[in-house]
Amino acid sequence: MNRQNFIIHLAIAVVLVIMAAAAGQMRHWQKEGSLTVDHAVKRSTPKPTAAVRGAADREPEVLVKFRREVSFDDIKKIAAKNNDNVEDEIESVDKLVAIDDMDGQSAEAVAEQYSKMSNLVLYAEPNLEIEASPLEDLKTVTPKDNVNPADQPNDPMFSDQWALNNTGQNGGKRKADIDVLKAWQKTKGSRKVVVAVLDSGVDYTHPDLAANMWTRPDNIPVYKDDELGTIPDLHGFSAVDDRDPMDDNGHGTHCAGVIGAEGNNDEGIAGINWEVEIMPLKFLGRGGFGTTKDAIEAINYAIERKRAGVNIRVINASWGSTTYSKALEDVIRAAGDEGILFVAAAGNDGSSNDSRPHYPSSYNLPNVISVAALDRVDLMATFSNFGVKSVHVAAPGKDIVSTWLNGEYREASGTSMATPQVAGIAALVLAQDPKMSVQKLRQKLLSSVDLLDTLTGKLENAGRINASKVLGN
Amino acid sequence: MSFSKESAVTRAKTDLAERLGIDASSVKLLSAEDKDFPNSSLGAPVDDEMSAQMISSGWKIMLDANGKNYEYRADKYQLRLLNFKGANIIVTS
Repeated sequence: MNRQNFIIHLAIAVVLVIMAAAAGQMRHWQKEGSLTVDHAVKRSTPKPTAAVRGAADREPEVLVKFRREVSFDDIKKIAAKNNDNVEDEIESVDKLVAIDDMDGQSAEAVAEQYSKMSNLVLYAEPNLEIEASPLEDLKTVTPKDNVNPADQPNDPMFSDQWALNNTGQNGGKRKADIDVLKAWQKTKGSRKVVVAVLDSGVDYTHPDLAANMWTRPDNIPVYKDDELGTIPDLHGFSAVDDRDPMDDNGHGTHCAGVIGAEGNNDEGIAGINWEVEIMPLKFLGRGGFGTTKDAIEAINYAIERKRAGVNIRVINASWGSTTYSKALEDVIRAAGDEGILFVAAAGNDGSSNDSRPHYPSSYNLPNVISVAALDRVDLMATFSNFGVKSVHVAAPGKDIVSTWLNGEYREASGTSMATPQVAGIAALVLAQDPKMSVQKLRQKLLSSVDLLDTLTGKLENAGRINASKVLGN
Repeated sequence: MSFSKESAVTRAKTDLAERLGIDASSVKLLSAEDKDFPNSSLGAPVDDEMSAQMISSGWKIMLDANGKNYEYRADKYQLRLLNFKGANIIVTS
């Protein structure tokens, strides 16, 4: 089979596994001919060549996706240590291998064994053979809104990005996502829109981010502040240490990737914006914490650059505390006056912001959006703060894969991860309608949700933000 | 400075002994367990501090001195003393 056909068939096979799992219909095949769609669909991996368990027609038992940094040699060593055999490397998906157990454990047990190795393994699932669904079921897998699989980006980890396209992978709920595939039919972003990531800096050399990083244009002079003096800002602003906005924590780089990792570049993940300009505003240090003063300084920089002609329209603020600061509130208001939306994390205490506010997300300002976190089955994450009067909308924020330091990728959880989903969608809207006011932008974002019963009484807009709806699909 | 669980425990014992004016050998380790904290302040923010709202893995260290319990929280970048005389304290970052 040629490579293209193999990929198509592999994709169909994965979809079928997910559908069957959701319906509780998984069972082992009794005979070879029970698949009616295509012989090759069933065989997502080649037959084992080793004589295992005396069953020549057995498939490898478990599909394991190792983390990017684990070498194939190490994968083989890990398998050998578990008395398993690496049957095949699935070349079309980075670090996905088919593993056969050599000592008679069930596929589920083997999958669980590998799943527990979370420092090495992203996921492990039994390579269950399934009964083919009727062809009409296949049609339901193809999104009804005419999103063609060919419209999906070629970024190899896109299938892990359940927040963007939840197909039910890894126990998720189909369509519990921000519906970005359909949104991308209208726009995939624009480098004319600048999103400031107010955080721990951004690794502006990351291969999945470098193309979308803001660089100070030649016509904008180096930043000079009356008190702070001249601050080199070629790659953004830093209020800490050596004034280099390079990330030394990872958190800011993670948020940046959600917003704007380069899309369809055959590398890593796809950002909500395939194209955008990300401006790092660093105020959190290596430990991931910083001072209110430094946050204010950084926001002030953004305002001044906006006034100088840099099209900063969104600030992502995946941080906070319960400490109220009038000065911080005022500078965020000033950003709003300059047309800058401020998207902030609701907080991770699992408590109500109505009774115990969390700032900056709880500032009652016309340019602030407070974001709660959802998991992959559309439930509010247990850690997420809420508040029917003070938390505005929810977005995926658990087990979110994105860019990390040193060219790596990492899963992380928190309202930190939900916030850039909203900021990213805001940037998409602005790519489509660059002149939209911050008030209209905010109103559009908050009115474009998929309502969820479980969020009723917990959020001002009891739903998950939907990028497609925001863009008017 | 980068902590391991063991070095964080050692530093916490030394810190507590200094704060209480006692010998470090009289500070006993009750437990040191892996724990996920709600944010980069390890759920123990100091005044005027903002922190990344990402679930952060670290260690909860419980010490005993003079019959009283003290809680430290640490990750590879920091060590914090929780609610000491009414305030959280960053010991080392």
